[in-house]
Amino acid sequence: MSSFKPHNNRAWLGVLPVVLIVAFSAVIPLMTVVNYSVQDILDLNTRFFVGFEWYRETLNDPRFLAAFLRQVVFSLTVLMIEIPLGIAVAKSIPKTGRLTPFILILLALPLLIPWNVVATIWQIFARPDIGLLGVGVNALGISYNYTAEPLHAWLTLVAMDVWHWTSLVVLLTFAGLTSIPLPFYQAAELDGANRWQLFTLVELPRLRGVLIIAVLLRLMDSFMIYTEPFVLTGGGPGNATTFLSQHLATMAVGQFDLGPAAAFSVIYFLFILLFCWLFYTTVVKRDES
Amino acid sequence: MLDVAGVSLTVDGAEHFDHRFAAGEITVVLGANHAGKTDLCRLIAGLHTCARGEIRLDDSDLDGLKPQQRSVSLVYQAFVNYPNLTVAENIASPLRARRMTAAARRNRVNQLATMLQIADLLERYPHELSGGQQQRLAIARALAKDARALLLDEPLVNLDFKLREALEYELRDLLRSTDTVVIYTSSDPRDAFALGDQVLLLEGGRKVQAGTPIEVYRRPINFVAMELLAEPCINRFTRAGKTCALRPEHVTVGGDVDAANMIRFDMSVTACETNGDDSFIHGRVDECDWVVRSYGMQEVRAGSLLSLYARTADVVSF
Amino acid sequence: MARITLENIGFHYPGAVQDTLSGLNLEIANGEAHALLGASGAGKTTLLNLLSGLLSPTAGKLLFDGQDVSQLAGHARNVAQVFQFPVLYESLSVAENLAFPLKSRGVAASQIAERVDYICDELAISPLREHKPGALSLFEKQLVAVGKALVRADLSLVLLDEPLTAVEPRIKWRLRQTLRKVQEDLGVTMIYVTHDQTEALTFADRVSVLTAGGILQTGTPAEIYETPGHEFVGHFVGSPGMNFVPNSALNVSMGERLGFRPEWAVIDESGPVQGVVTRTRVQRTHDSIPYGLVTLATLHGELSVRGATDIEVGTNTALRVHRYVAFADQQKVGEGELV
Repeated sequence: MSSFKPHNNRAWLGVLPVVLIVAFSAVIPLMTVVNYSVQDILDLNTRFFVGFEWYRETLNDPRFLAAFLRQVVFSLTVLMIEIPLGIAVAKSIPKTGRLTPFILILLALPLLIPWNVVATIWQIFARPDIGLLGVGVNALGISYNYTAEPLHAWLTLVAMDVWHWTSLVVLLTFAGLTSIPLPFYQAAELDGANRWQLFTLVELPRLRGVLIIAVLLRLMDSFMIYTEPFVLTGGGPGNATTFLSQHLATMAVGQFDLGPAAAFSVIYFLFILLFCWLFYTTVVKRDES
Repeated sequence: MLDVAGVSLTVDGAEHFDHRFAAGEITVVLGANHAGKTDLCRLIAGLHTCARGEIRLDDSDLDGLKPQQRSVSLVYQAFVNYPNLTVAENIASPLRARRMTAAARRNRVNQLATMLQIADLLERYPHELSGGQQQRLAIARALAKDARALLLDEPLVNLDFKLREALEYELRDLLRSTDTVVIYTSSDPRDAFALGDQVLLLEGGRKVQAGTPIEVYRRPINFVAMELLAEPCINRFTRAGKTCALRPEHVTVGGDVDAANMIRFDMSVTACETNGDDSFIHGRVDECDWVVRSYGMQEVRAGSLLSLYARTADVVSF
Repeated sequence: MARITLENIGFHYPGAVQDTLSGLNLEIANGEAHALLGASGAGKTTLLNLLSGLLSPTAGKLLFDGQDVSQLAGHARNVAQVFQFPVLYESLSVAENLAFPLKSRGVAASQIAERVDYICDELAISPLREHKPGALSLFEKQLVAVGKALVRADLSLVLLDEPLTAVEPRIKWRLRQTLRKVQEDLGVTMIYVTHDQTEALTFADRVSVLTAGGILQTGTPAEIYETPGHEFVGHFVGSPGMNFVPNSALNVSMGERLGFRPEWAVIDESGPVQGVVTRTRVQRTHDSIPYGLVTLATLHGELSVRGATDIEVGTNTALRVHRYVAFADQQKVGEGELV
């Protein structure tokens, strides 16, 4: 709409507070980390400049690569489940009706629970000795023990994440669906479109905006997952569920390897940035063409 | 008086726009979509800023003033009211900012509501009103501000035809009685005659012509101006190597063939439309699309040949 | 194409106290262009939804060529609709949009191509074929939407729901012309719903005037305009609508009230209805004289007359009526002329 481009240099003054806040909250800590990542820190007063040594080491560290691979697999898995499942659930909620508000509130509940509580709930829920899920599955004759079996630990973590976060996708998608004007549905009905065509030709194009947000949010969030595996499995059994943040925490806090940990952080940060940027530009570019 | 000078209404800022709007008169700003009508309103209201030019209202410069500080009200195409306030509270909302006793405020609300015929709806909420009532409310709210300039940006375009007709009459009587600068934008030439003391023609952010509607109708400065005040379009033809044009209502079917001051055209009819009041006969004259507007209901078959006549005095050329 | 019959159609929304529509009877011939004209709240949208199959009537029957389709869903009725704003599949090209209603019904590819070509030619949109809707103007989009509605050869009925709403006033007539032309070329039965009398009268072979759930009059545009069957029709059609005076004002014994159009009267100082000029509205010039509407305040309210507007506001004068329609109890009872 706006066809006027005011040239007013005073506007820069208005941006100043934001620049300062961002500087203190993000840029300066980040620079500190970048600074650490190129030094070997023995104690608070003894440090040497080592250049890209830590980066080289980190990228060649099999433990890092394993954690990284696990992270990618985990994030893609939960995305592939949560996005379609979220859309499917959103589509099955009646758009109007007395039940709709209750369904929405019910769906929002998992989102209100703190991460560590979610993990604790699932830790107890899945315990093979007293948990409802653990006992139930074992009673079916399937041997299940998430503390001992890597696959079981993985399944439990994925199930927990899906339980916790699918609602977010549902709520976003539902909001998107309700904003589609009725004539689009009427026209598709009269055109003889089947349900799949209705979904792919009418709903999906109009959900693109909210779905981009949903994918980005879930991608960034799941990439940073820490509390849940920490509480539920502690990264085990073995290192089976040790994801990037936990690996980082072990290095930085547990072993006080500040240099490598800083290098790791920078790589981690750049990777998320790159991933989101790639995703966003490909989708938005396609939108524009 | 509202003086707009040297501003730009186009994206590239290439065109200059100047106009002086007089107080106590309704100026209908007529133009196609994207001609700059809405931009002009937003600029005066302070919702846009412009790098150059100045806007003066009664000799005070509006530059640097926020929309709230300007003595300007704006009524939009969409019915914009506060959904959680009643009709009375909506009308009173611009009065709140001012020091005014509750009784005086109530008086003013009642007066405005009566004027716009929504006095019996004061306790309702906007969503309980029909479209026409909602727009009356929006206008009442705009008037309550007692601004020195009132901008109406295609306010009736979303209303039913009959309702629009009725409101047009009311608005004209209502707005004429005030001493404010009234700017009414539209893309319908009928509005210029129905409401306008003055008409201002806009195209591509440029002022084409301004004046009283009948002046502009009689003496357009170019074909663009002529077309903007034509219903539905103008009829072009070439005469003695010059491009000429006639308005659809100045061409008649049949007439005094031999009269010296008449010109004759032959049209092959492609279609005929009628709305009862007028008929529009569409066809082709010498490779040009023409429309003849004549009174009442005419029935002309597509494919038939008509002899058309026009007075030389009505021919426009430049 | 089909003949459309409405037999005593009634509808009320669940829980509503009053019927939205009741006792509607209407017969629309095969290949007719029919307009439903009414103000908002008259039940136009409900009637449209009943025809398209979004709603089913709660009383009466809807017949397509004598077949009862009242309870059939929309996709089973062979109905297409053009909406107030262009409704297209944004991810498909214009040609794919046009092909869609045929494709989804399993029409052979060669037939689809032929039909899409035909529609593109008819609407002169061939140059747009490969464009996505996003690249088109509103006018072009609505043209494509019209094409999509007309593409099926086995249609019974095409519904148009105020299709010119989104189109700029200055070019509305062009789309209306195109609609009218394809309607005639294809011989489609069309129902055009609108609140705008110009659109209804210019588009349709016959017009039905709808108010508060019932049809007041059905007739050709000329019948509707010149011999309104009900006072409301006289008021609603025409801009401005009919003037009404008691029959005694014109010394006529027929009916109770007489209605006359602004062009059925002239300003004449010796006329029978005295009044004061309250406003004039120029609409054009005629022999260089401004010409338009003159409104007089009279004993019987404001009356408008078409004529020269070079008359001062405040002038005492009178008007003479030369033609009228007589109404009793709002219904038309006769018509006549005065010398």
